[in-house]
Amino acid sequence: MVIDIKKFGAILTSRQLGKEALAAFLPNFNNLPEEEKVYVNFSGVDVFSPSWGDEFLTPLHKRFGGRLILKKTSNASASASIEILEEANSIKFRVE
Amino acid sequence: MTNKGLKIKEAADFLGISIDTLRRWDNNGKLKSLRGIQGGHRRYSWAQLEEFLTSSGVDLAKKWVRNKTGERPADIFYCSDSSIFQGRLYKLRTALSKNQEIEAIFSLLISVVGEIGDNSFGHNLGNWPDVIGIFFSYDVKNRVIVLADRGQGVFKTLKRVRPELPDDSEALKVAFTEIVSGRAPESRGNGLKYVRAVIENNPISLSFQSGAAELNLDKNNSTLKIKKAKDPFRGCLAVIKF
Repeated sequence: MVIDIKKFGAILTSRQLGKEALAAFLPNFNNLPEEEKVYVNFSGVDVFSPSWGDEFLTPLHKRFGGRLILKKTSNASASASIEILEEANSIKFRVE
Repeated sequence: MTNKGLKIKEAADFLGISIDTLRRWDNNGKLKSLRGIQGGHRRYSWAQLEEFLTSSGVDLAKKWVRNKTGERPADIFYCSDSSIFQGRLYKLRTALSKNQEIEAIFSLLISVVGEIGDNSFGHNLGNWPDVIGIFFSYDVKNRVIVLADRGQGVFKTLKRVRPELPDDSEALKVAFTEIVSGRAPESRGNGLKYVRAVIENNPISLSFQSGAAELNLDKNNSTLKIKKAKDPFRGCLAVIKF
């Protein structure tokens, strides 16, 4: 499965919106096969922040662990946010 | 408003100041009315007022946050809730995207602004002492962005989870260096650390005042410079330069 982050908006900066995005997306995982990987694609996103990411990516990491794969991104705010989330939550995202 | 422009009362309301102040500004040249050109009563054009406001954002924010009585700022700056702030971030994106010189820091700059603004709303929700919401202004030409709130301030917010915190200075230090949430046990508390991490590697500087403490981060530098503020106030004031 691929999650296209741009479908949630071009500027993803608030906790509230990150929380809502996750709640809206969760039903998509209902029929996900157990072995299937979950890719997160940041292309098309203009601005990404750790607040939004902490409400969306961190719970996904908790749920899917190594099955969650963040696609490499050239967006500076997404890269910087991922770094701070790893530090804040003592986790390591799989990035490919 | 007429085709001759706004009357002085309309202009004063738009700027969020008194008529007397506007008369004084006309007399001392700070904001000249069109009377000199057209004769008769003082008149002001929208374009003139908007340009004045844009270039005066920092001064107006400082004044607004220090005012003894809380008054709603001019509409052009006022974000009463986070959805309005989010909308203004899209406007900022449009304004910044026209400047190719800042392409490399474009997304980082907006994310930093988003984190600081979101912090104000998150930490004061249901607890605003007077004016609800934030003052948000940007001047792309002069490369400055200002955010201010008349909320509880960093010290009071963090003291709820860190009762041992002694003062505003220490609260600012903790806010920018440690993973700590003013809304614990809810997971929060990485926004200002992120701001510092971005500034460390980019040509962005920040002055952040809350209470009686002022923190400065120079561009491409992570060293926190915290000093006693000249004019203490309750909320937060952030001035970002890029």
